[in-house]
Amino acid sequence: MTAHTTSWHSVGTTLDACIKCNICTSYCPVSAVTDLFPGPKYVGPQAQRFREIGQPKSPDSSVDYCSGCRVCNEVCPTGVKIAEINARARAQMVEERGLPLRNRVLGRNELLGRIGSMAPRLANFALQNPVGRLLGEVTLGIARKAPLPRWSTEGTFTDWLAETRDARLKAEKKVVYFYGCATNHYEPFVGKAAVAVLEHLGYEVLVPPQNCCGLPMLSNGEFAAGGDYYQRNVNKLGRFARDGYDVVGTSTSCTLTLKEEAPELLDLAGPDSESLQRATWDIFEWLRERHEEGELRRDFQDVEMVLPYHAPCQFRAHRVGKPAQEILSLIPGLDLRESHARCCGIAGTYGYKAEKYEIAMQVGAELFDFVREQGREVALTACDSETCRWQLEHGTDLPSRHPIEILAAAYGLYDLETRQLREGG
Amino acid sequence: MIDLLVIGAGLSGLVAAQTAADAGLRVRIISKGLNALHWSAGTVDVLGYLPDVGTPVEAPLGAVESLQRPEHPYRRLGRQRVEAVLSDFVSLSQRLALPYKGAAAQGINLLLPSPAGAARPSFLAPEAQHNGNLREQSPMLIVGFHRLRDFYPELIAENLSRQGYQARAAFLPIALITDRDDFNTVQLAGAVERPEHVQRLGKALQRLARPGERIGLPAMLGMERHNEVMAQLQKTTGATIFEIPTLPPSVPGIRLFRRLQEHLRQSGVRVEAGMEAIGASTSGRPPRVDWVATETSARPLRHRARYFLLATGGILGGGFASDHTGRVREVVFDLPLSVPQRRNSWFRTSFLDPRGHPVFEGGVRVNDAGQPVDEDGHILYENLWAAGDVLAGADPIQERSLEGIAIATGAAAGQSIVATHTAVNGTSAVPNGAAATSSTRNSS
Repeated sequence: MTAHTTSWHSVGTTLDACIKCNICTSYCPVSAVTDLFPGPKYVGPQAQRFREIGQPKSPDSSVDYCSGCRVCNEVCPTGVKIAEINARARAQMVEERGLPLRNRVLGRNELLGRIGSMAPRLANFALQNPVGRLLGEVTLGIARKAPLPRWSTEGTFTDWLAETRDARLKAEKKVVYFYGCATNHYEPFVGKAAVAVLEHLGYEVLVPPQNCCGLPMLSNGEFAAGGDYYQRNVNKLGRFARDGYDVVGTSTSCTLTLKEEAPELLDLAGPDSESLQRATWDIFEWLRERHEEGELRRDFQDVEMVLPYHAPCQFRAHRVGKPAQEILSLIPGLDLRESHARCCGIAGTYGYKAEKYEIAMQVGAELFDFVREQGREVALTACDSETCRWQLEHGTDLPSRHPIEILAAAYGLYDLETRQLREGG
Repeated sequence: MIDLLVIGAGLSGLVAAQTAADAGLRVRIISKGLNALHWSAGTVDVLGYLPDVGTPVEAPLGAVESLQRPEHPYRRLGRQRVEAVLSDFVSLSQRLALPYKGAAAQGINLLLPSPAGAARPSFLAPEAQHNGNLREQSPMLIVGFHRLRDFYPELIAENLSRQGYQARAAFLPIALITDRDDFNTVQLAGAVERPEHVQRLGKALQRLARPGERIGLPAMLGMERHNEVMAQLQKTTGATIFEIPTLPPSVPGIRLFRRLQEHLRQSGVRVEAGMEAIGASTSGRPPRVDWVATETSARPLRHRARYFLLATGGILGGGFASDHTGRVREVVFDLPLSVPQRRNSWFRTSFLDPRGHPVFEGGVRVNDAGQPVDEDGHILYENLWAAGDVLAGADPIQERSLEGIAIATGAAAGQSIVATHTAVNGTSAVPNGAAATSSTRNSS
């Protein structure tokens, strides 16, 4: 099976809607900073005409420099799915040329997480010292300056769930939580904040077995493996979706993959994937619904701070507006500053690659500058996506938080500085 | 809940949103993608050629009174209204630090050099294009850059010369303003802003220009710092500098969009792109719109508001969709359209027919308040308005009236919504600037 012989349904046919207006070219944050990527129109709908089924060679290697941020999709006036065309083209190149070991490794976020969690201090030491990083760059091509996460040294999110099982709320209203690999292994506190907020709203949080959403593999062109991970989630979560439970997630690129990215790229339309798609929500998208139904508690404490908030490109790709911005703006005292930057640059695993690190930093400059412009009183930033937060921290030297941490703090459940739940929370 | 949901972020939607926001309404704009300003010249074309006959128009406002078609948007609004709204736009453009100007002789169209070297009639232009007005009789030096794909100085100069305007062409190396091998006009507009680049460019132009010549350049002389770039170049060269639009992306249109968007943000209005309106829910008698649905990654998203403005554009802008038989439908509310519903009636036989094409002329019929109506003139939904290219009665391509109609109908719809809101609430909204001038409607 070559990557795009599956079908031309939805993704492929949209290229015919391209009117060559160049709006995508004028907004692409990658082609704005490098000659290595000529722009979405050329690499996407234009080159796609030469990527015929059965054609032996892919015509355009520059597609590998597409970061997959989807800004092109966002601004396209005619609905061309440019980023998906590019993702499929990359998969075709992987079929032809094979997958570099580095990209295979970066795609295995879940496995990396698990290995590191066995001995987190050792893993952190290995990957956070200059020698280890130089070695990683020379042997694998993982940029030594790129912001790698740290494994949690206080156990994983699922460890914490098991330990606190008896303390968890039992209630009639139930919601399923999809935590994602990064929350489990690197940032369990994001998951704890989410559980605390959901329970505060009177929901029992169900956390059934689940696995990596598959996105890191899909964005590295490894479609078969990515599809396999996705299918396993469908098998594990489909039952809950069919029974009418909502599945909410704090990792915005994972929820996008469950909703749309995987079934669309892989043409996996079917009743099970459709019911999972309809059941899946980004947590703030879901909280906004609760707010509109008058179910959101308003027992906020003052959170006095200036907070630059960046809705990441992965979030904007949900096409649901900026619900985190809307909910956080209910918090008294919070001076929220909305970023209009296109992308932080990291785009999942893109900015970790040695040859793309500088591009990613130049793309992110727009966002880093925005944060700086908000003044010296800024002590924190907020963003819905984990890799973007790490990049933001790297580019601004300021700590960054998930909006759910901010909300949990506003409910008095969470300490923003120590990233710990408060007593009784 | 917000007061007004504008569907479409083109010029008409932006102007309507600003009008309503200035009067104190809470407004949001949603759009499928970004808009025609990104590929249009960034000028305000009001009326370049008469509808149906195609004869050139010298004084557009005067011609408004003689328009034959009763459903033409200008005729519906009347000359005074159109004139007032355009003058509001000029004031707005000054607040945006992107001043638009008309011809020195009041009410006369400018003639601006097009990217092909034609004399293009336009009513208002940003200063940089205004400087290229062909009604002014000074010789022109048209300067392009080697390896820039989107601008052809020799073509422009030769075509201008054939029409009797004095023009010659010259080239400069692109390395003066960028070190990149691959570039587009938007990137170059950013690159030109660097002080060493604008200085080098200024000196190179000074060497090329002969005394008395004005210098025409591709429209990429700065984005955010456009005014500074223009001032610096004119200072270094001692010559008048003007811009000629390029192939898309079109920097002058993008400048206008960005500044309007920023102005709206400061008024608390968010423009949300990537949101395609796919349907609506209506109820009641008389019927009202309850919400509009947009497509998302998982399920339709509902947008509730008190008032809705349809500004999605015509068949080119995506406001209408068609099938293989030629049936054309309006995509959000399925409003009745005056567009011919058979494919063989869409076009006249000649592509460049001076009378234009029926498929571009057709659209949504509205009453004098800008509210969609059925064939008998009854309002379809009490809280729905429409503006811009979605409207019936004009072929903006043939007439060269796209921006004029967008601004006039957008502002008028905004004012009508404000008037309705004020009447419903029984209190006067907080008027602020332009919106206050005509919250009562012309009866003409």
